[in-house]
Amino acid sequence: MSLRPLNLHSEPSVIFLVLLCLEPRVRVQSAPICAQGYAGCQLRSLADLFDRVIQHSARMHGLSSDLHSEFEQYFLPSKNQIGRINRKCHTSSILTPNDKENAQRLAREELTEVILKLLAAWRDPLSQVHQSMAHREDSFSSFSSNRALEMSDMVHQLRSGVEKVAEKMQLLGMISNSLSSVSSSAEALPSSSSSSSAEALPLPSSRGSRSRSHYELLHCFRRDSDKVQSYLKMLKCRIVPEHGC
Amino acid sequence: MRVVTTMVATIHAQFLGVKKDFDMWRDAGVTLILSLIFADVLESARFSPPGKPKLTGCRSPEKETFTCWWEPGPDGGLPTSYSLYYRKDNSDTVYECPDYHTAGKNSCFFNKYETSIWVNYNITVMATNALGSSVSDPVDVDVVYIVQPHTPENVTAVVYTDDDDDPFLLARWEPPRKVDTHSGWITLVYELRVKLEKGDTWEEHFAGQQKQFNIFSPRSGEVYMVQVRCKPDHGFWSEWSPISYVKVPDYIHRERSMWILIAVISAFVFLIFTWTVKHNSVKRFLLPPVPRPKIRGFDTQLLKSGKSEEVLGGLVIQGFPPTSDYDDLLVECLEVYDEEQELVVDGKDLQEGCLKSKSRSDSDSGRGSCDSHTLLMEKCGGAKEGPPTVLNGKQGQAGRGPLEKSNSHGHRLDAAESPDETNGSLSTVFSSQQQSHKPSSHSIPEIPRQCRVPGNHCPSTHQHDYKESLADAACLGKPLAGYRCMQAYSDHNIHKIGHKREATFQTSKSTGYVEVQKVEQENMLIVNPIAKEVRDLYHPEPTGQDYSKVNDVVNDNVLLLQREIAAKNQVAGNPTENCPHQQAGKPAIHTAVPLHYEVCLASNGYVTQPQK
Repeated sequence: MSLRPLNLHSEPSVIFLVLLCLEPRVRVQSAPICAQGYAGCQLRSLADLFDRVIQHSARMHGLSSDLHSEFEQYFLPSKNQIGRINRKCHTSSILTPNDKENAQRLAREELTEVILKLLAAWRDPLSQVHQSMAHREDSFSSFSSNRALEMSDMVHQLRSGVEKVAEKMQLLGMISNSLSSVSSSAEALPSSSSSSSAEALPLPSSRGSRSRSHYELLHCFRRDSDKVQSYLKMLKCRIVPEHGC
Repeated sequence: MRVVTTMVATIHAQFLGVKKDFDMWRDAGVTLILSLIFADVLESARFSPPGKPKLTGCRSPEKETFTCWWEPGPDGGLPTSYSLYYRKDNSDTVYECPDYHTAGKNSCFFNKYETSIWVNYNITVMATNALGSSVSDPVDVDVVYIVQPHTPENVTAVVYTDDDDDPFLLARWEPPRKVDTHSGWITLVYELRVKLEKGDTWEEHFAGQQKQFNIFSPRSGEVYMVQVRCKPDHGFWSEWSPISYVKVPDYIHRERSMWILIAVISAFVFLIFTWTVKHNSVKRFLLPPVPRPKIRGFDTQLLKSGKSEEVLGGLVIQGFPPTSDYDDLLVECLEVYDEEQELVVDGKDLQEGCLKSKSRSDSDSGRGSCDSHTLLMEKCGGAKEGPPTVLNGKQGQAGRGPLEKSNSHGHRLDAAESPDETNGSLSTVFSSQQQSHKPSSHSIPEIPRQCRVPGNHCPSTHQHDYKESLADAACLGKPLAGYRCMQAYSDHNIHKIGHKREATFQTSKSTGYVEVQKVEQENMLIVNPIAKEVRDLYHPEPTGQDYSKVNDVVNDNVLLLQREIAAKNQVAGNPTENCPHQQAGKPAIHTAVPLHYEVCLASNGYVTQPQK
């Protein structure tokens, strides 16, 4: 019930107030949306959040694999190039579980942290790809640069989504409050990634080498987006298993 | 080398010149040389290092293990061994396949401890034999993208009936055994396909992540075949599961049975409706009769039979022209034939008309109008021809003259001759203003119908049309056959009676019966015009003042008129009496009319000719 200050100068509001006070049924009350009780409803909303985030990551992964295959056809028709994927991804420093057991062995907080790290590590490189390709004039490059920009935005949105999920989980007491360090550690990565890429790659002077670096970057990103999606699914089924696992 | 040595040995032997031993040596050497050559040749054709094997593919059924297969190349004739080597993720460490047997021949199986996801495997196969080895082209594999699960398991399809609703097919299945979907490691999507056992095409349905599917409205009594397959997020579709059969029991769609019920009930209602309401009205409503041209009384069948008379007879409308009380409106045509004095005929046309012949059979009931001048004449003419009128058998009396008069209409009397009193000539007759004089033949049953005449309605209406009021042979009208033509008198001379006096008496427009006022000079009647309502001429026993009955015929030339009411006329004459069956009439004879010829007074008061 809301109390409103009496304003004798305006008649309609006075009438409204009178009605409000007189008629109890007119008063507005908040009612819960779901009828399962507080905890049940919270879990329900968490599960919905997870679903949203997972869908988002799936879309992101789809975009990345599309772009990667297009790049493969366009720039590198011959597949017999030795060592073309010999470069390490700049995110390889982040320890990620590479099989199911390892992923299950990780604690929830750690898993969440890994996800956030990965997402944090990819925002800048993608925008770099976008910028470097935007200067070109061919249609494919402009198309790829738009895609790269789109993916960069998605990474950012996904990251904020996962952060919200983490907050909710912390709220519900499912994970501890040790995630605050993620953002700070993630900031260190871009510089390292850029430095590593600078070390690993020759100066992107020629078009071909630049394309190659883009291609490898996309290859890495495709893999990492799949990791993110898988980890999110595992996290969901660990935390809210009754909602579609 | 050996060849050379042998040759050298041979030459040496030759040089040594051993005579008798040389042949032996020579044979042995040749054999040796030949065998060596042969062996050498053979050897170079059969053995070689192995050809390049080829990796055909790698698959992982559950994203935890995977298997790779290869194709051996030509093996070079020697036993060849294959070995698979791989490198992980750009490291330089080369590992060899741990398991060559689990997955069959020419395969390599990686168990879950050796399998890493999101790691790039660089795999090669090497074939080795005694002569050499060869390495296949390398293949990069990331396990995530080579997942192809097994088929879904426990695929069941049943017919599910939910209370009274229509049944539907419910298909259920489970994920393949090894795939771990509970932990979220793999997310599977399913696809189902259905086919009628008799049909040819499969109907595919995408089921998403659910493990059951409904197929609604299956055909009753049919057998269905169901198959399911699955696929991970990014991977390959599995094979189709083995077929599951399901038989649908016989049933009728609820909706269809409802419609059948509605149709039956409405048909029933409709039937009741058509029977309760009259047949005809419904029939008329649904199929209104198409108006067709039809002549009433015209029977086409009869026409076809050729009897035209009967057909035409049917066309005659009985009772047309409409008559009312003009039954007795028969105006008798009194033809007075005066030998001495020709009656003046009024109007030439009349005369002409009389000469016209008239067709006898006139079946047109609509013909003729009172007003027609010519018609009148025609009638006259026709009459002259001698229509078969029947005058109660009195036809043949031409000689006598026309008289006949009948009605004892006071006004008319024409006496033909009055031997006694008159001079033998009777002047006239005048007309009774009655235009429509119709020679009445009260007893004329058959009369040529043509004589229609100024017919019945004439008296009432169109009198002015006729100047010659008198008679003419006008027919008249009415009754019975409807057209009586008084031309009954045709046998006799029918004259138009002139209008000598007409003007005098044409004051009134009514059917003018004229009252006889008095008789002068024994052969003249003076009459008074009477404007009264039309009287029915054909009335055997007229009542009323204006009519006079002839009571008695005296002296053969006098009519005794009988007046029951106060009589105005007084006529003197010599009635003649010649009739055998004359009966004494009623008393009170007030008038007498001189007659010129024999007449008979019939019992009913009418004057007739005596029967001789």
